[in-house]
Amino acid sequence: MTNPAILQFRDVHRAFVRGQPVLAGVTFGVHEAEVVSLVGRNGTGKTTLMQIAMGMLFPQAGSVRVFGLSPTDHPVDVKRRIGYVAGGQALPGQFRIDEMLAFHRTLFPTWDPSLEKELLKRFGLVGNTTKIGKLSMGQARQVALLCAVCHRPELLLLDEPAAGLDAAARREFLETSIQLLNREGTSILVSSHHLNDVERLGGRVVLLDNGTIRLDEELDDLREGYCVAIMPEYSTTEAALCQLPGFMRTRVVYGDWRAVFRGAPAEVEALLASSLGITDARCASVPLEEFFVELVGGARAESPA
Amino acid sequence: MQFLVNPSDGLPIYRQIMRQVMDAIAGGRLRSGDRMLSHRELSEQLVIAPLTVKKAYDELEALGYIESYRGRGTFVAAHFPKTKQAAVNAQLHESAQALLTQAYLTGLRLPDVLRIVREADQSLTNGPTPRRKENT
Repeated sequence: MTNPAILQFRDVHRAFVRGQPVLAGVTFGVHEAEVVSLVGRNGTGKTTLMQIAMGMLFPQAGSVRVFGLSPTDHPVDVKRRIGYVAGGQALPGQFRIDEMLAFHRTLFPTWDPSLEKELLKRFGLVGNTTKIGKLSMGQARQVALLCAVCHRPELLLLDEPAAGLDAAARREFLETSIQLLNREGTSILVSSHHLNDVERLGGRVVLLDNGTIRLDEELDDLREGYCVAIMPEYSTTEAALCQLPGFMRTRVVYGDWRAVFRGAPAEVEALLASSLGITDARCASVPLEEFFVELVGGARAESPA
Repeated sequence: MQFLVNPSDGLPIYRQIMRQVMDAIAGGRLRSGDRMLSHRELSEQLVIAPLTVKKAYDELEALGYIESYRGRGTFVAAHFPKTKQAAVNAQLHESAQALLTQAYLTGLRLPDVLRIVREADQSLTNGPTPRRKENT
């Protein structure tokens, strides 16, 4: 992509306790009309990154640019063009839905009443004057999405928008996001633990691990360019596996090595046979969820740093 | 036609779509000239990214199974790619041998295999039915 990124993190560092960095040098960008999914275990800095992009936190080193601007130096110019929904985000509960919308309408000059009307209808919230605090979690999240998208932002930041929602509410949220993608070409940075939803959103996957980027790949390349090899524990050693090109990580699960490799299954099978003489390894491309567990899941054997 | 996608399948979603289109063409459920749903329609129907649909369609077009015309839409191709019959036969012979090896090693006999082949033919013709999850 030759266009400059509309959201760019450069070597971002952030710690909340001295000596315990949450982000330790994160660099990546989100381009126009691109969907980027931020995945990683709890506590790996996903929310911190989102808050830095929103200008709610300073990076302690490195920089963030949104539309080429610093979100802390130009908060209004940046926020005007961003929509933000967070799973834990609480819209003030004492306001009614209509009051909340009226408030947002005055905030944003680009507010689109027809989109507002359409989404209210889709969510079944037309004429609803319930206080936000009395809504179900799913409905409150829908109102938050409404408030985040009706000014037609160029960039949507969704920080675990599906957290705590039931499967049907999650799917409705996803449907709306997909429709926005189709119609508006909005760029989206989304963090999620629901990796099936990430597969549906497509685009690029950025895996955060211990405050750094472990992997940054197009979803389909991740699905087809990596594989998990399973072979009996007695057939080889970790040291031998580590030597192989494309090796990423291995661990033992119930007497089998499970090793993640960069490479298509057939290539890795051939590699294991020719270099280590292992002919009974099973190599397969795996869904994102399995891949994630193999790469960052609880381990007996860690890959070398 | 009706598509089913499963994000936890071993195949990425764009390949699942490609496979289902090719199955439908092979089984006669999609015929030359049939109109395909637009990127946007299929993306919203399946709740997947529009770019994923585009990728599946682009690959199918590169393989010669579908054709898209600006402003008119996407259609099943009028003529499917010609391949040398001898080469196809050789390839099928090899696949059949692999299939039989697998079957005989697990104790099945030729009539069993033929029954399975007939069932597979039925599901190509009738479209996807929920079946056992394939091992990935």
